[in-house]
This record gives sequence, structure tokens and C-alpha cells, in this order.
Amino acid sequence: MLALELTAQGLIQGSIYALVALGLTLVYGLLRILHVAHASLFTLGGYVGVLVCNASGSLLLGFLCAALVAGFSGVMMFRLAYQPLLSQPPYVALIASIGLFIASEEAFRIIFGAQGMSFMAPPLQQQIVLGGGLQFKLAELLVMLSTAIIIAVLAWLQSRTRVGIACQATVSDPQMAESFGISLRHVRDINFFVGSVLAGFAGVWVALLNNLVEPTMGSVTSYKALAIIVLGGLGSVPGTLAAALLLGVIESFGTIYLGNVLDRNAIAFAFLIAVLMVRPQGLFAKR
Amino acid sequence: MKSHKPQFRLLMVATAALVFATSTAWADIKIGFNVPLTGFAAADGKSALQGAQLAVNQVNASGGVAGQKIELVVYDDQASPKEAVPSATKMVEKDGVIAAVSGSYSGSTRAAASVFQRAKIPYVVAYAIHPDITLAGDYMFRVSAMGEVQGRGGAKLAQNLGKKNVVLITLKNDFGKALASGFKDAAPNLGLTIINEYEYGMPDRQFGPLVSKLKSDNPEVIYASGYFFTAGPLVSQIRAAGITAPIIGQEGYDSDKFIEIAGDASEGTLITTSLDRDSKAPATIAFLADYRKATNQGADMVAASSFTAMAVLINALKRTDGKGGVALRDAIASGTYDMPIGKLTFNDLHEVKKDIQVQIVKDKGFHHYSVISDPVLLAPPTKAK
Repeated sequence: MLALELTAQGLIQGSIYALVALGLTLVYGLLRILHVAHASLFTLGGYVGVLVCNASGSLLLGFLCAALVAGFSGVMMFRLAYQPLLSQPPYVALIASIGLFIASEEAFRIIFGAQGMSFMAPPLQQQIVLGGGLQFKLAELLVMLSTAIIIAVLAWLQSRTRVGIACQATVSDPQMAESFGISLRHVRDINFFVGSVLAGFAGVWVALLNNLVEPTMGSVTSYKALAIIVLGGLGSVPGTLAAALLLGVIESFGTIYLGNVLDRNAIAFAFLIAVLMVRPQGLFAKR
Repeated sequence: MKSHKPQFRLLMVATAALVFATSTAWADIKIGFNVPLTGFAAADGKSALQGAQLAVNQVNASGGVAGQKIELVVYDDQASPKEAVPSATKMVEKDGVIAAVSGSYSGSTRAAASVFQRAKIPYVVAYAIHPDITLAGDYMFRVSAMGEVQGRGGAKLAQNLGKKNVVLITLKNDFGKALASGFKDAAPNLGLTIINEYEYGMPDRQFGPLVSKLKSDNPEVIYASGYFFTAGPLVSQIRAAGITAPIIGQEGYDSDKFIEIAGDASEGTLITTSLDRDSKAPATIAFLADYRKATNQGADMVAASSFTAMAVLINALKRTDGKGGVALRDAIASGTYDMPIGKLTFNDLHEVKKDIQVQIVKDKGFHHYSVISDPVLLAPPTKAK
């Protein structure tokens, strides 16, 4: 029973990791940029979700606004910070990204205050009692469900629509794709938009789970998402998904059984190191 | 002549005003105040500053000390040791403060303590609980109960609830560890069995796995340390999992923000703290009313403790006629104080002797639950120990 509950808690956490890490891996696959500032869009999503929901009373509107604001901010980040640096070596963009992340944390602190924000009437807090003594918050169940749906929809879009196929083509051979009339600019914008929407979406979920958004809520997420995409074999979408869920579950058990030896946030990296020693290309890379 | 030009006259007036302003400021009694106004502790810092400012405004409105006004010299230390040392040094060297008050956390207060001790400037600490602070020397004073003492009070409360099996959830920092060690110290003599202890880190907000394990431990009472920003999510997640055992928290929970974050789940949470919101004591009633009037907010533990630290210092300054140094140190040490957080005296290590207030969350507010008054169990460490 405990094992089942710990697995469920791991999957809940893993769903959040998956939503954040997917955007990161999309960007890496396309541009070979480690987009650290991605986690600031996660924080931004949390704030927008809480603000809009408190003002309008509609969580749905909160989700929508959070996703859109995060999505467009992501595209802006790309156009203003990364695009001018594309001809430089990748570490230049990485440095820009770290700077952007630190600046955004401070900006959240200045704009929204240091003490964080909460929902006035937190939605989705109903208790759902499942058989065998298992009990969850409605939000906990919905975060897993919605992540599964979103990922299924994305997979369908990617393999069955023109835009999705264009994206895939660009990842595997940008020059060839361009010669077939695919606009690189469009593909990059769409990529950043979709990835950032997912991060903003995840931010609202975390706000619902904890009823608290803070300026620094992206910091742990940012480095854990990096660990996840390395584990998943940089740039691989299915690999990232599997790594995110696996890490969620390992962390869940690790917190309880290794908690006295290893800090919860160190478990991710201990696992990362262990995996890289055996499989330097990541758990799920093809080559 | 050039001096008749209007700009020049304006400059003369401005200079005169400036000289005049600085000369009156020089006559004031300056008290240093380090407080986190930015960074993760900024919410507590705001309460601390408002509490201290209230004590200063009250004394200035009634004529000041020895005919001089009190001037508060405020530095933002971000609750960080590396900010605390330079600001303490500035207070001593540049501002020439006669005494100082800490409205900050243990990390920065510990760092500042040695600077003030070296300069022989009395330093009254409001709510930082680390043992090393008063060990820095004889110019250090603390008006709140140390972590160990509060931890022992928490154990006594668990016993008073008639419970036996306890699980500890401990925040992995100075504050949490001191509380846990006090609790574990007292537990065996109070008939408590600690069936498990879990630790968590400052950045943790999602406690799913810990809560699942807690559920299978099935404790009768939970002793969880933390600040409102960790305790809010923790308490809400414990209740969401269907665990109904009472939760005992401490001063770190003592903020309306805790109730805001945990919502309905916060109802029934008990905390050991210094401020009784339903107190019948005149000093507490007056403070709560004055604070609300001045800030339009309800006071919390941090505000009450910072007010108290400042008021203790001002009380002693009145008795030394505004003189600092040894005279002020001895005056603080020998006084008896009737304060919003109760009646206080200091022991030979300058730790405070006082009761612990237990508050319960009821109808979205902190209310009186009980008082733990046990001079032996709650005795702070002395010089000998």
C-alpha cells in the first residue's frame, strides 16, 4: 500500500517535471541551447494563474492566461535573447540564459513581492477517496490526467499535422527542411511557444498543489529539468518523458528510504551521475 | 555682488538647513536595527520593522529619553550573514549607535553579534533562536525562547494533549534542528515515544512521499518545524491525505500568511509561540490595538518580539539617562519587564525567562489555547551550562 502511494506521489511530481522538461528538450533538439530561463516561465505561469483566478474566479481562465502569457514570453525570449546569438557558440546562449533566469527571479520579487501569493479560494482541493485507504486531492489526480492528455495531443500533432512534421524535419536536417520551403523562423517560434505554454501550465498546477507561488519557485525546477533532459538523452521527447516520470518515482522512494543520507534534491543528481557512468548517452538515447 | 544672486542665497539657505538638520540628528540617541527587508525573509522583516518602529514612535511621542529623541538606524541584512557583518560594522563605526536590536533570523544575527560584542554595544535580539548568539558575550540579550526551550515546550504540549506516539518532521536548518533536539531531550521524561523523524530542506514545498509514509506510521501527534511558507503547504498536504492527528508547530508558523496558504486545513493547528492574541494582559491588549492603529494589520509574533526587544532597550536607556556601554548593559540585565509577550527577566546568560503561549488556529485566526508555565522544563541554558 505504501509502495503504491509513493509511486502515485512520484508520478504526480514526475508529471510536473515532464511538463517543464519537455519545453527544454524541444529547444535543445532544435537549437542546441540549454534554455535555463525556461523555468522562469514556469514561475510566471504560476503567478498569472493565481492572479487571474483570484480576480475572475475562474480557474480555467487562469490556466488559459498563464499558458498564453508564458507562451508569448517564451517566444519573446527567443527573439530578443537567443536569436541574435545563434551564430555564437552554444555556451554564449547558455550564459545569456542564466542571466535571464536570475534577472527574472528578481523581477518577480520586485513586481509581486517577496512573500509569495496564494489562491484566495483554492480550487480543486476536494478529497477523492479511492479504495484501500488511498486518498488524493482532486488537483493531484488531475495533474497526472491532464499531463497524459497534453502529451498524447502533442504526439498526435507532431506526427499527423503539417506543422508537426515540419518541426520534425527541421530538427533532423534544418538545411534540407528549408530547401523544401519550411520557414525556420516559424518552426522556431512555434517550438518556443509550445514549450513555454507547457511550462506556464505546470506553474499553475504547482500553485494548485501547494497554494503558494514564490519568486524562487523555479530554481529547483530549473536544474532538475536539466538533469532530466540529460537522462532522457538530450533532445529526445519520449526519453525526456520517461526520465521525468522515473525521476519522480525514484525521488519519492528516495525521500523516504534515503532521506537520512541524501537530501531530496541531491537524489536527482546522484541518480544522474550513476546513469551517466553506465550510459553516457543518457538512458533513452538511440545512439 | 555675486552673493546677491538668488541661486547663491538659495544655496546658503540649503546649506544652513543641512547643517541645522545634521546637528539636531547628532543630538538624538541612535539605535541600530538589522532586519531582512528583501530576500526570502522579507515578510517577517516588514513585521519586525513595524513592531520596532512602533516602540520608538511611542517613546518619542512621550518626550523621548533624557530629553532626546530616539532615532532608528535601519539596515537591510536580507537574513544573510554576509550582509549582516558590514551593516553591523557601519552601525558601530559610521552611525555611532549606542545600542542595537536584531529584527532578523539566526544566520545574520549570529554574524552581527560578535561585531557588537567587540565594540561593547548592547545588542537585544528579538526572535533569532540560535544558542551561539548569547554565547558571543555579555552584551548580548535575547527576548525570545531559544529553539531547545521551545522544543521542550512542544513536547510538554504533546503530553498535555494526552498523546504518546509522535512523528517529528524537521526543517533541516539551525531553527528546525534546535527545536527537534529540545523535543527529543524532553520526550522520554514526558512519556512520549518518537516513532519516526523525517527531515526536509528549505526549498521543499511538495511533501507527497513524506505524507504517504506519515500516514502509514499513523502517529497520534505530529511535531513539525518550519516557516509559514513550508508549513502552509505541509499542513495542507497532510490533511489532504486524510491524516487527522493534531499538528504542533512553532513561532515559524506564526503569520496570517500560514492560514492563507493552508486554508481550511490550518484549522486546529497548535503552535508554541510568544504572542497570545486573546491575552487579558494590559501590555498585550495595548500593543495589539496600537499596532493595528499604526499599520492597519494584525500583529504577529515577529512584530510583538521586535517591539519587545526595542521596548526593553528603551526602558533600560531611560534608567541610565541615555548613557550606553557598561551602564546600559547592566541596566538591561537587571530589569523586569511587562511586555506584550509576557513578563520577562534575564538569566546570567541574558536569555529570557518566560512562559510559552500555545495558540490554536480557529475560524481563520490564531487564538488562545493554553499557557505552558514550567520554570524547570523551560529553563534557558545558563552560563554554567
